[in-house]
Amino acid sequence: MAGRRLVRWVAAVPMALLALATIYPLVFTGNVAMKTRRDYILDRFSPAGSLSWDNLAEAWAGAGMARYFVNSFVVVAFAVALLLLLGSMAGFALSQLRFRGSSMVFLGCLAGLFVPFQVIMVPLTRIMADLGLIDTYPGLILAYVAQFLPFTVFLMTSHYRTIPAEIVDAARIDGNTVYGVYRRIMLPLGVPALLSVGILDALFCWNDVLISLLMMPSPEHRTLMIGVNALRGQYSDDVPGFASGVLIAAVPVLMIYLFLQRQIADGVTAGSTKG
Amino acid sequence: MPIESPSRLVRPAGSGRAGAATVTHRGRRRDARRGRAERIAPYVLVAPAVLIIVGLRLWPLVLGVNFSFTGDGELNGTPVGLSNYLELAGDPLFRTSLRNVGLLVLLLPVAVAIPGLLATFIYLRVPGHRVYRSVYFFPAVLSPVIVGAIFNLLLGYDGPLNALLGTVGVGPVDWLGDPGVAMFTVVGVHIWATFGMALVVFLAGFSTLDASLLDAARVDGASLRRTIWHVIIPSLTRTIQFVFVTTMIGMLTSMFGLLFVMTNGGPEGSTYLPEFYIWHQQGQMNQPALASAASTVLFVVMLVVGLLQITLLRRSGRQD
Repeated sequence: MAGRRLVRWVAAVPMALLALATIYPLVFTGNVAMKTRRDYILDRFSPAGSLSWDNLAEAWAGAGMARYFVNSFVVVAFAVALLLLLGSMAGFALSQLRFRGSSMVFLGCLAGLFVPFQVIMVPLTRIMADLGLIDTYPGLILAYVAQFLPFTVFLMTSHYRTIPAEIVDAARIDGNTVYGVYRRIMLPLGVPALLSVGILDALFCWNDVLISLLMMPSPEHRTLMIGVNALRGQYSDDVPGFASGVLIAAVPVLMIYLFLQRQIADGVTAGSTKG
Repeated sequence: MPIESPSRLVRPAGSGRAGAATVTHRGRRRDARRGRAERIAPYVLVAPAVLIIVGLRLWPLVLGVNFSFTGDGELNGTPVGLSNYLELAGDPLFRTSLRNVGLLVLLLPVAVAIPGLLATFIYLRVPGHRVYRSVYFFPAVLSPVIVGAIFNLLLGYDGPLNALLGTVGVGPVDWLGDPGVAMFTVVGVHIWATFGMALVVFLAGFSTLDASLLDAARVDGASLRRTIWHVIIPSLTRTIQFVFVTTMIGMLTSMFGLLFVMTNGGPEGSTYLPEFYIWHQQGQMNQPALASAASTVLFVVMLVVGLLQITLLRRSGRQD
């Protein structure tokens, strides 16, 4: 018993060090973002003498981060709304309604889950170009919806499978159409799953690099992540300015993480336990 | 349990189940019309998702494979047989990228063992276990661009990591500039950024673990090593399988952001991965057909490695 306790304490030391290694990079970046360029060149490790928000303000307004931020926000909001709508509609039909071809449809969605974007990026770019959707907001939104829809349908289907058929039956006897059941029963009952899938979808879209890089070539359409990378060239000799840009892009995600950690973890693990 | 069929539920009044309201003659005709609408309702519900998934995920896959047998530039659209694949085989950059995939597969057990071991300790209630879970998971929500940018600062030649190493007398390492080191650096950063994901999955697996088995092992006086080997690993085969496959997919498909920000494929092309190669050929070199061939190779590689893993893990699971 004592040996076991000792093992626990011995394990706690590397674990604490690892936790430090997990947190420190972001703390370092935040600290650099608060420094003036002069302070940074003199000593990059010491805590910033006084909190200076100048770098952040400069990156936000001067370097165009505000524009990129709005781009990202709009695209992610529309993409997530569409994903949840289409995902819950299909999930409801696949889990609660029996119709010819339903297992084919489910298998098709599952197959879509295993097609990595890298494998289809050339033909997809071409299709988008043929549709005239390259370098447009609807184009990027559609690309995100296509990318994350199989995952969304899959998780919504497995969530709706847990709802007893009697509930749907009872609603139908009360005179609801299939659409009525979807709107009055399935959407409200789906809220926990919609929340955790929605947060994950939003994170995926917000953090994406490759799709946005391919779909939005012009600088004024850049999403935030591409914008951060572009800052590197702009601020090649201004590390605090660059760190500020990084911080601006990271803060919304950190906020979401702090408040909705539980839902994110639920979404991540749902695939492993239900699949 | 799914509903038998939508039409069963809108059977005409009179034949209906007890409690259903009787409907007038006119109502019956309305019911018939409604019945038809109800029958197609499931199709209406799945149609948008099916259209998008088939049109923008499955169809491009077929299109891409097809495309890889046609030419680039002047030969655009004309069939060229296997010449794209031959060109890939002769391209040192593509060969490097495949070699790097091999390296990733070799490092895969490490990338799975780290979160597995950490999850075990958290499950065994190491002091502070509650905090660790949230702390370790947090880099997993950051974009590769953010992670890459942060590590660009940390790993600079005169950056904090080299300064730290300098205090213990280890000379500065050119983390991103040395062709022999850069790939390991990028993989290391990728593992730093994603091990929290696998950790959370492991912890979910642990929560399904039968606690009495662990108690029995403790009563029998089994050492920690033996408990892990004989109790925990066999009961978690499914979770381990899942983590292996998802970690591999993650390594092969979500390192683009890191490469893009940290190395841009360099130094000397040493950090190329297939996904970076595809992007480079398509966007930078304007050789989409060649890029398609590389895509097809990547897809086949992923299928083979994935299936191989599943069979291997199944077999070892059965032996236990």
